[in-house]
Amino acid sequence: MNRNFFVRSTLAALLLTVGVALAKDQAAKSAGTAKEVVVKSLAIGSPAPMRGVKMKSVDGTEVSLEKAAGKNGTLVVFTCNHCPWAKMWQTRVAAIGNAALESGIGVVAINSNDPADYPEDEYAPMQERAKLLGFKFPYVVDATSSVAKAFGATRTPEAFLFDAKGKLVYHGAVDDNAREEAAVKEKWLNDAVQAVATGKGVTVAETKALGCTIKYRESNKKTS
Amino acid sequence: MCAGLAAALLGCAGAPAERETAEASAEALDASLAADSAAAASGYAPAVVPIAAEQILQKVKDGRGATLVNLWATWCAPCRHEMPALLTVARAHREDGLRLMLVSADFDDQLPAVRRFLASQAVNETTYIKTGDDNAFINGLHRDWSGALPATLVFDASGRLTGFWEGAADENRFEHAVIAAIAETHPPEEPR
Repeated sequence: MNRNFFVRSTLAALLLTVGVALAKDQAAKSAGTAKEVVVKSLAIGSPAPMRGVKMKSVDGTEVSLEKAAGKNGTLVVFTCNHCPWAKMWQTRVAAIGNAALESGIGVVAINSNDPADYPEDEYAPMQERAKLLGFKFPYVVDATSSVAKAFGATRTPEAFLFDAKGKLVYHGAVDDNAREEAAVKEKWLNDAVQAVATGKGVTVAETKALGCTIKYRESNKKTS
Repeated sequence: MCAGLAAALLGCAGAPAERETAEASAEALDASLAADSAAAASGYAPAVVPIAAEQILQKVKDGRGATLVNLWATWCAPCRHEMPALLTVARAHREDGLRLMLVSADFDDQLPAVRRFLASQAVNETTYIKTGDDNAFINGLHRDWSGALPATLVFDASGRLTGFWEGAADENRFEHAVIAAIAETHPPEEPR
């Protein structure tokens, strides 16, 4: 009796060990494990990556971050046409971007989404949106999503602001209320732009907000 | 396959307390499945309870089992797209003690749309809607979460994060992440 119990217990334990090992092995192979999917965004103090990459803007010109940089800094906003959150913030992005240009800060809005997922993010609708919103700055296509990857940008809208020396001084949300501009308490991006324009330090360097996942182009996807 | 094997073995070799938990979970599962069927038939809208990030983390640490937390919104197409796969996996692993926490990131006045969508998916478990400031909620839940939706976090029964990703997933990905969390929850005993 005891021997049978011992044999059964040992067998069960061995099988359990194998089962769990198989499960862990399967999990490790999965793209769902934390190690494979955490996207590290550009650290504060870093220079802009891929500055020389040319991206087609809505006016047909080729724009690089290097070419678009202003004497006082550069603002890069990953945004898109389709995302409801990008839409809620789009007039504020236009206003802040246009004002930044006036302050000697270069501005580029980048759409890194795969338009195969969202036709609204095709080039022609981008042209219409830029016109509608009165963008005075380029709205460009990140044709391989590689610029978004290099920045570690994962959502729309997501802003990266570089100072006159080219160092990242602000990364994050436009403000603390996507839906109600009148109820905004923290104008993070606007404040950061003002600080950079006047050569002052940025008070709040990193913020977060809900947004849509950037749909990387098929050949360059990080997530399914 | 592995899930079935692990679940069967866990049933054989688990400690008495684990067995009781599993039995309780199985009973809850039966009740829940019955309710699910009724919900699907009646179009019943599930409860949607406001929740803060710290409350989510308290729940996942209560030792009741592994937990799959999914942040979604009605306006988020990939969130809606992945929901059937997510629910298939969550329901398949209920008897392994897996708890599902669906947390909507919609605005309060979108609750009718939230309930409609959940009802369309035959969800009858209590679900949640995030409260408070986005920045605090996102950082409070996980420092690596950028705020992009959908986002999924998988915890073992001790509340340790075993899986995290942003963006939509398929059934295979959910399955592997859940199995890993359950495996961590029930480590194998050493042969005596």
